[in-house]
Amino acid sequence: MSDKPIRLKIKRQNTPDSSPYWEEFSVPYTPGHNVISVLMEIQKNPVNSRGEKTSPVVWECNCLEEVCGACTMLINGGVRQACSALIDKIGRELTLEPITKFPVVRDLHVDRGKMFEALKKVGAWIPIDGTYDMGEGPRMAPKDQEEGYRLAKCMTCGCCMEACPQYNSRSSFIGPAPTVQVRLFNLHPTGAMNRSERLETLMEKGGIAECGNAQNCVRVCPKEVPLTKTLAELNKDVDLYAIFGMLKK
Amino acid sequence: MATHHYYSFYLRRFHSLTGVIPIGAFLVEHFFTNSFAMFGPEVYNSKVAFFMGLPYILLIEISLIWLPILYHGAYGCYIVCTGQVNTFRYGYFRNWMYLMQRLTGVIAFAFIIYHVYATRISGLLTGQHASFESVGRSLDNPLILAFYVLGILSSSYHLGNGLFGFLITWGIAIGDKAQRGVSILCVLVSAGMAAFGLAALSYFV
Amino acid sequence: MNNRIIIVGGGLAGLMSAIKAAEAGCGVDLFSLVPVRRSHSVCAQGGINGCVQPTREGDSPDEHFDDTVYGGDFLANQTPVRDMCHAAPAIIKLMDRMGVMFNRTPEGNLDFRAFGGAKYRRTAFSGATTGQQLLYALDEQVRRLEVEGKITKYEFWEFLGAVLDDDGTCRGISALDMRTMEVRTFPADAVIMAVGGPGVIFGKSTNSAINTGTAAASLYTQGVRYANGEFIQVHPTAIQGIDKLRLMSESARGEGGRIWTYRDGKPWYFLEEKYPAYGNLVPRDIATREIFHVCVDMKLGIEGKNQVYLDLTHIPAETLNRKLGGILEIYEKFAGEDPRKKPMKVFPGVHYSMGGIWVDYDQMTNVPGLFAAGECDYQYHGANRLGANALLSCIYSGMVAGPAAARFANGLHKAAEDSRDGCFDREKRRQQEIFSNIYRMNGSENPYRMANELGELMTENVTVVRYNDRLKATDEKLKELQERWRSLNVLDTSRGTANQAVQFVRQLKYMLEMARVITVGALLRNESRGAHYKPEFPERDDARFLKTTIADYAPSGPRISYQEVDLGYIKPRPRVYDVEKKVGTRKEGDQHER
Repeated sequence: MSDKPIRLKIKRQNTPDSSPYWEEFSVPYTPGHNVISVLMEIQKNPVNSRGEKTSPVVWECNCLEEVCGACTMLINGGVRQACSALIDKIGRELTLEPITKFPVVRDLHVDRGKMFEALKKVGAWIPIDGTYDMGEGPRMAPKDQEEGYRLAKCMTCGCCMEACPQYNSRSSFIGPAPTVQVRLFNLHPTGAMNRSERLETLMEKGGIAECGNAQNCVRVCPKEVPLTKTLAELNKDVDLYAIFGMLKK
Repeated sequence: MATHHYYSFYLRRFHSLTGVIPIGAFLVEHFFTNSFAMFGPEVYNSKVAFFMGLPYILLIEISLIWLPILYHGAYGCYIVCTGQVNTFRYGYFRNWMYLMQRLTGVIAFAFIIYHVYATRISGLLTGQHASFESVGRSLDNPLILAFYVLGILSSSYHLGNGLFGFLITWGIAIGDKAQRGVSILCVLVSAGMAAFGLAALSYFV
Repeated sequence: MNNRIIIVGGGLAGLMSAIKAAEAGCGVDLFSLVPVRRSHSVCAQGGINGCVQPTREGDSPDEHFDDTVYGGDFLANQTPVRDMCHAAPAIIKLMDRMGVMFNRTPEGNLDFRAFGGAKYRRTAFSGATTGQQLLYALDEQVRRLEVEGKITKYEFWEFLGAVLDDDGTCRGISALDMRTMEVRTFPADAVIMAVGGPGVIFGKSTNSAINTGTAAASLYTQGVRYANGEFIQVHPTAIQGIDKLRLMSESARGEGGRIWTYRDGKPWYFLEEKYPAYGNLVPRDIATREIFHVCVDMKLGIEGKNQVYLDLTHIPAETLNRKLGGILEIYEKFAGEDPRKKPMKVFPGVHYSMGGIWVDYDQMTNVPGLFAAGECDYQYHGANRLGANALLSCIYSGMVAGPAAARFANGLHKAAEDSRDGCFDREKRRQQEIFSNIYRMNGSENPYRMANELGELMTENVTVVRYNDRLKATDEKLKELQERWRSLNVLDTSRGTANQAVQFVRQLKYMLEMARVITVGALLRNESRGAHYKPEFPERDDARFLKTTIADYAPSGPRISYQEVDLGYIKPRPRVYDVEKKVGTRKEGDQHER
């Protein structure tokens, strides 16, 4: 058992337009491996399990400590970060695939640009007057800071988007992650000045109404962002605004 | 700046609202009224006659029952089409509930169309209104009986679980604890409605 | 005409300079290897220093200045360090205004914690992911400016080289589209490099995968001077892993974490015993050497391995979750054990480069029009960086570089377009040639294995303890690796699609150049100062080496020279941490303006 190699089945794709294919690899086992370090072993010896030379697998990663959000992929069918997928926990039979909700660049590398575009759409920032010294920021209750921090840990990895049944090519939903960011900026005293604009973006097509309440998002989020709670909270904010705010117009 | 449209939001919220009021409320009323069947055909038929004798009955039916159901059902089918089921990859409880909500919605909608046609519209066309006896006769067909059982179970589940969605959609159940509590409550509502509806059905068989 | 500034790198320094340049009215093109929100700044955990509340505990910006200079063993130029420390409170307030979720006191004010090398609580923090939170705040501001059309992002683009005109002025950059492998040049009136550190040269480090130092090294080969390269900070407490070392933040010790190992069967708190004044909060270089000494020389590592305990188990779990939640999660996730219940196992790991591209006080390199900011500059940390000063220096240097680049652009006589002189074509051809040579490499060696070899070589010989004979041998070995680089196999010959192997082969070439800068710099500095420690020369030698190391590129290897250090404010004094730090004797004329 202890010298049983790690076996990988990787879904590869050479270009954004070409069709995918499977390639299998075998990497000698040592304790302490994670999916990234196994892929690194393939780089050092890019030979597939049929003994043929092949190109190293292309994937996206950076921090390797699960704060940058880069290395999201499907590991044994489920979405997660490759860096924190420890072989000693998930076993030595691995299937790796690119996540399916974003266009493939190559192999396991996808383009999640849509997520950043969605952040533009919802106005996910504090509109400050400028970066000159203008004194202190607003005071904030520790309780609000704690809630805000939990939301601010979202690393745009796309796990929730991948698992969300309502985020797909047939729907215009912008997905859980960008939606929930609205709450972060609305609870900040300065950000709250643009609260209604952000709520209005959530009322547009693709907004919060397209959440289907399947609640996969919160289950797959690696950073434990309170997605479903915040979505419910936002529902309340948006609904009240949709009724009473709109009646002010 | 592009013009902003909020109609899809209001349509979706209206969909959620109609599911509970009036449709959910009507379902409770409907099961209740049908329970009069337990007192026998005369009592039941007299209640039907009472409802049929209400002023503006067709208007009430169309505006408070048929149109909301038609809207809720049709928009619901559209919602089903925008989803991409992934229950086998992510087999979490709520994800199953999500799938079931859609499945039961479609079944219930199909059943209701049949049911309304068979018990109401055909009556309007032929002048022969539904009665204890006519319903009982049609239920003699085991396929129709099975369809009724399926329809009642689907509607009950769909209402109970829909209530859970409603409480979240309207920002009433927010916290994790609240959501868990409400989730249990809604399962009970589903079960209760199913029992209620099946009991009412049983008096016709 | 609207001036255009190119910024390379989307970490704290790059984003801050982008915002500043945009505010100064320039159009900004921002290039990054990764979506900027994934830059290495996310990894910084502990916090950002700044004396926001001067009355508290008797702290002051000058005290912060003194700590920084003293902690850096007097090698940093004092004027910019002083300016940075005085700007720090305003920077923290600015970041707070941008919405960074800094931890709060019950009254709703910013909360501060203690950090290594400081006797005062002046570190603002946001959970245990302060770098991530600061980066996100800047990323959000940049996104706003992007929507306003003031900043254009080029993500998944790798910087290749500077476009230099016949006068040696920087006129733009060449860059690689990582998705199509197309080489392009981009004109600019000024260029700011904010390209981070070179940790990957050491193989496993706490750095991110993109921190190869390639951009800086490539500029170095174009004639940009590199300073103090030999000063590499080794963080005392890193979690060991196959793919990388994961940082266990100093804040774990700041919140009361204790370092110990067994001696004669009993827990031995060696830092507290040796340094009663600072205890577990001694500066990084000292903690690193002590842990190294206890494990490597005394063979007292836990389970006989190179590791000691970092113990938080005496602190209530609730406190730990609130103050250190994020870093404890990291340990739990990657080591598979609960640090609230079991002491963590740690060992030193390469963490930060104090050295970097030489810049003047306006963050401009020796190439006119080319600026540098952030970890890739050499300006603020001397021979050793204090914890929680990196985030500060990144943001501050960006704040200096942005406006300085805008000023330079305004003063530029000919805009980039008018001065083509063929320099853009020349640069593009040069880069295309480099790539077409790489695509043809079909030798026997694997680039990733060679990188491993390089990492092990550097970690073994050019980190915590340095010996001249080994440094000399290392440089010989590096030359050999440079020779062997030619016989690499590119592994992936596909064109027109993301080809990471081709990129890596190129990066490795520049990593080798930079490794030599670090090694030769270390070899020639015969003293011990800050992170640079030679048992053969255990003392600091101010007479000979209170000087900035300058490396100039030559094909045969780095040419090293030395430059005087700006000692305008604080007189050098011995750096000791077994007693409380004496307040620095300030020179007269403290009000020196800049």
